[in-house]
Amino acid sequence: MSAGAAPLEVRGLRVHHDDRQGFTPDDVSFTVNRGEVVLLLGPSGSGKSTLALALNGLIPRAIPATVEGAVLVAGISTADETVGRLSQHVAMVFQDPDSQIVTGTLMDEVSFGPENLRVPVAEVLERAERALRQVGLWERRGDNPDTLSGGGRQRLAIACALALGSPLIVLDEPTANLDPAGIDEIYAVLRELVDAGGHTIVLVEHNLDAAIDLVDRAIVFDRDGRLAFDGPVRDVLLSNVDALLAMGVWLPVSTLAALRLRDAGVALEELPLTPAELAMALDATVLPSVVERSRDQIERAEISTSLDLISTSSIAVTGLTVTRGKKTLLRDVDLEIARGEFLAIVGVNGAGKTTLLQAIAGVIAPPKGTVSIGELDPARADVRELAASIGFVFQNPEHQFIRTTVGEELAHGLEIARVDPDEIERRVAAMLERFGLEAERDIHPFLLSGGQKRRLSVGTALIAGAPVLALDEPTFGQDRERAAALLDLLAQLNAEGTTVIVVTHDMQLVADYASSVAIVADGQLVSHGPTTDVLAGDALELAGLRPPPLARAMRALTRHPAWRSISRLADLP
Amino acid sequence: MTALDPFRERVDYGPIRFLHRLNPLAKIAAPLPAMAVLLIARDVPTPVAFLGLAFAMLAVGAHLDGRLWLALIVGLPLLVAVMSVSFGLWTNPAGVDRSVTLLSIGDYRLYLGSLAVGLATALRLVSLLALGLLAGATSTGPDLVRAMVQQLRVPYRIGYTALAAYRFVPRFGHELQVIRSAHRVRGMAGGRGPFAAVRRVLGYVVSLLAGAIRHAERVALAMDARAFGAHRDRTERHLVPFRARDWIFIALFWAATAAIVISLKEIP
Repeated sequence: MSAGAAPLEVRGLRVHHDDRQGFTPDDVSFTVNRGEVVLLLGPSGSGKSTLALALNGLIPRAIPATVEGAVLVAGISTADETVGRLSQHVAMVFQDPDSQIVTGTLMDEVSFGPENLRVPVAEVLERAERALRQVGLWERRGDNPDTLSGGGRQRLAIACALALGSPLIVLDEPTANLDPAGIDEIYAVLRELVDAGGHTIVLVEHNLDAAIDLVDRAIVFDRDGRLAFDGPVRDVLLSNVDALLAMGVWLPVSTLAALRLRDAGVALEELPLTPAELAMALDATVLPSVVERSRDQIERAEISTSLDLISTSSIAVTGLTVTRGKKTLLRDVDLEIARGEFLAIVGVNGAGKTTLLQAIAGVIAPPKGTVSIGELDPARADVRELAASIGFVFQNPEHQFIRTTVGEELAHGLEIARVDPDEIERRVAAMLERFGLEAERDIHPFLLSGGQKRRLSVGTALIAGAPVLALDEPTFGQDRERAAALLDLLAQLNAEGTTVIVVTHDMQLVADYASSVAIVADGQLVSHGPTTDVLAGDALELAGLRPPPLARAMRALTRHPAWRSISRLADLP
Repeated sequence: MTALDPFRERVDYGPIRFLHRLNPLAKIAAPLPAMAVLLIARDVPTPVAFLGLAFAMLAVGAHLDGRLWLALIVGLPLLVAVMSVSFGLWTNPAGVDRSVTLLSIGDYRLYLGSLAVGLATALRLVSLLALGLLAGATSTGPDLVRAMVQQLRVPYRIGYTALAAYRFVPRFGHELQVIRSAHRVRGMAGGRGPFAAVRRVLGYVVSLLAGAIRHAERVALAMDARAFGAHRDRTERHLVPFRARDWIFIALFWAATAAIVISLKEIP
């Protein structure tokens, strides 16, 4: 390691994967200085994660790819050194906490890296203790990592990176698989690391609302993998708003809200990045009255109540209790879901959200008489009846693929229902067209891209004509762009009359798309009502959840009380 | 965690529970000759003697939880009984003592001799199991791997990778459960019967494998990124030494094995 070399220098880096077209990233150069916290941004497919994997040589050493240009870590070219030896200079934290754990106790896990580097025992122990203390897990050093929450396991992964002793830490989407509580834990730990100084951090993250407080520099890649912007995060985001939006980069919700208000004629001097800044900016200016909007809202509410009276409720849950072994997963849940609702079921991990969704959809058999979908009791229904009433989309679409081509996969539900072959052909063709999968008809479902797999799983759930669609964390592990594409699809289906029920952690998604929210805490339904009402109250906090960023900003307003209950972008003027 | 948790920590239960203090390799090497004898023995006394030896050692030298003792004391005799009868039924009557007929149904005759052969076979299997428990019930997975790396010079990359693979088992179990419920909800085509069942299982396997391969790749990347395999050896935080007492244990066990074999030979 040459003295004074920058922790990271990337020179004209181009990476070409054999299975993809072109180079992403393409001809990228930048230098990261000691102590900097750098955010890598870009739309899906711009090569952010590829770049992250190239920073410690995993690309091309472990993942074959054509690499041009150079990556220098502490002055050492990744081409000259093995991934293992480079780990003293650059440590990695990946997206999925589960696939980073290799041993049976926290202590063994943190010691694993230093042991591989042949660090003497006394120093291994010292490093392990310091790293575990830094992430607040020292007290649990003897536990099995499986007993930690998702956020806890990801903190453990950060401790493992710290124990390697490398001054540069690269985090590739570290919070994409976590619930809001886990995301907060990770950013609290990173905050402390940054405040303590001594570490240089490169962060790939699409959740800008969580990361924005932490980073001081942003590097943005465009869709072709070229470097578009590089500079202080505030300058980069606020001076290039239009270009970033056109590129498909997601801005913080507070910024988006301010842009919308500006278009509506609200005078805002500087665009905000965080909820706190947005609240301050709005308090300092004159806002149009929101009376008109709320009258409109009242009218809408009246219309929807009258609709409720006409149509029978689509799904009724009464006194639903689900136990597994000695554990009670759900206790005495009563829930009515109206036809055409877009219901979001939220709650902390282990609260019973997924169990509730699965019991409604008959994935796990609910006790007889506790759930009815229209006239149907899923506890007594066979697969055919169930498929015609409610479609279920699992978190991982691959789990539910059972046939060998996309076309057969769609036809499956109809074949089981013994639909006439001509009719099957007609409906499959229509579904393929609807979801943009015509060209993929004869390929194996596992060979589709992530977004296509998700669309196919929604298609298979709907093809038997089910008026209700239930989805378990449909945006888990996906970036904003893919998540938005799926949600727009769901919103469209909902507008056409499909009742949509989602289990999700993403509160801004809830605010922007759901018409009603059900909060589950500790196996019980603690709150259920129209989204605006639920988000305006304190039920979310009581259940251990955080309101979405926009709601946080609006609640902090002191001069505009009428605005405090706003939580969705669409409700802004 | 369950008794089968491969990652549980080694616990020291004091000098009397000596098995926990021995090197796992010693506990495997010591009963090997006895196991070889059992593989060729045809009589009843030999397996009984070794079963007694194994039980005595476990009783004194091992700290076993109540459930395992229950399994040993109630489960093993039951196992012996069931296996004796079933082996007895399957034994070719041509080679056994046919002086006492226990049962005759049509042309079939069950002789006491057949049952004796069944009993001998059952006892052999059970005493092999009991000898295996000497190491199995008193060692931990990580210690066995460490001993193999430290004494047998097994490359650590193989040993520790095997240990990391243990973590896959519960994960795949859970994943399989999810896949099965997903497939059940979709409804199975192809009807009932054994062929449809095979196809159904193949369907699970494809989903499971696709997930497993991706998971394994990610684990491998994470291990690489943490310097696994960077050097030819690695720091061993826990040494699992092979001490004089391990040699003594092996020597005494071998001597006991020889004594049992010789003394049983002398009894006609």
